Amino acid sequence: MTLPSAVREQIIEWLKNGEIEVFIGWEAGPVPLQATPVFVRTPEEVDRLIWDPTCENNLVAFLPRYRGKKVGIMVKGCDSRAIIGLLAEAQFPRENLRIVGVSCPGVVDPKVVAEQLGVPVEDLEDASVRDGQVLVGDQGVPLEASCYALCRACDRHNPIIADVQANEEINSEPVDDPLGPVREMEALSDDECWARFAEEVSRCNLCFACRNACPLCYCNVCFVDRTQPRWFNQTTRLEDRQFYQLMRTFHLAGRCVGCGACTRACPQGVNIRLFLDKLRADVQELFAYEAGVDPEAKPPLRTYRQDDYNGFIL
Amino acid sequence: MSERTTTSSEPQDWEPKVLAFLCNWCSYAGADLAGTSRMQYPPNVRIIRVPCSGRVNPIFIVEALRQGADGVLVSGCHPGDCHYLSGNYYARRRFALLQRYLEYLGVEKGRVQFSWVSASEGARFAEVVTKVVSDVKALGPSRRLNINAMPVPAVEVADGRPA
Repeated sequence: MTLPSAVREQIIEWLKNGEIEVFIGWEAGPVPLQATPVFVRTPEEVDRLIWDPTCENNLVAFLPRYRGKKVGIMVKGCDSRAIIGLLAEAQFPRENLRIVGVSCPGVVDPKVVAEQLGVPVEDLEDASVRDGQVLVGDQGVPLEASCYALCRACDRHNPIIADVQANEEINSEPVDDPLGPVREMEALSDDECWARFAEEVSRCNLCFACRNACPLCYCNVCFVDRTQPRWFNQTTRLEDRQFYQLMRTFHLAGRCVGCGACTRACPQGVNIRLFLDKLRADVQELFAYEAGVDPEAKPPLRTYRQDDYNGFIL
Repeated sequence: MSERTTTSSEPQDWEPKVLAFLCNWCSYAGADLAGTSRMQYPPNVRIIRVPCSGRVNPIFIVEALRQGADGVLVSGCHPGDCHYLSGNYYARRRFALLQRYLEYLGVEKGRVQFSWVSASEGARFAEVVTKVVSDVKALGPSRRLNINAMPVPAVEVADGRPA
């Protein structure tokens, strides 16, 4: 559904007075239940902008490409943390940003909806979201039952940085324990952990959608694309996929804000958050740091304390 | 690192290969002292000299395991003694996370170890290497992440999912 008129007017004002050159939001897309990113440059186009629980993309992933420009952007609660991640890493100046925040009840996973209705995901036609229901033809699925699995463990429904708030705040507790899967995996033996890791990653087909969707994956040349030295060969071998997932996730240690964009983007349903959440939990435990909360705090691997944990050293 | 480990059946007299990244200013000099003092330590360790433990990118450690190292040791100056003042402090944060993460993914505890050895601690260096080699020996040949030990995956079926 279109944005409230006050928000539209605000965006038009920003565009007219030159505070922003482009506004990044969502518009209704050609695929049912999946809004698509839109780049609005003129006041006339502002009516294309929508917000509803089909707005899955984390638009912050586009921001690093707009360095040096003045940008307006729409963010959900989880996405807003990615903005703070970029601010903390000095990747984008706050004064060039205008942020419209939306509180999000959880975004719709078309695969889950299709599963609930017992039809192939390609057959979802005339689908829309209204009054807390996902409607497909004359059938309805409650919104809570059609979210991404990671949205059920969401404790970040509301944006924590925004110039304008477009809807009412949502105060609901996570249905699932955010760290539940991590604690389960920690309790496994080495062999079981390895099997779990291999099982999860065996579905990866190295499309790099996770990297492309990640707002913090802004390296100019990713280690997998490097040729001098060439670290990585894009083959079907399991160990290459494991290497990719291990190194990409570890490069996000202390940086991952837990927006879940990678996991939602994965066409194969690899639960990448299972690995990133472990790193976030460890960073919290060892360095008392949570990424994506405080733009002034120094990222944990860019600083140190003399009394840091030393217990693992021989 | 271009050497390949044998894969399927390990011979009875298997000896682990341990790759050691030693910082130029402390641990490498410590290893040198161990040598010139004629101290005995296992010959299983292959040393790569790096300017500082802070130079060791985690990808080096994972790549070593991929290429067939059975264990990896990273050693630097004691906290406070870094030639570059703070390189080992930064390294310590990275390694603390990496070691836990590798364990979480199922790489056996003890494959990747870290130590501080100063230039005057030749005996300490011999002791550290002895411990790391005996730990790795107890674990047996490294198969996880090792590109030479992995089975070739099954042929994928038409819908793109592994069979």
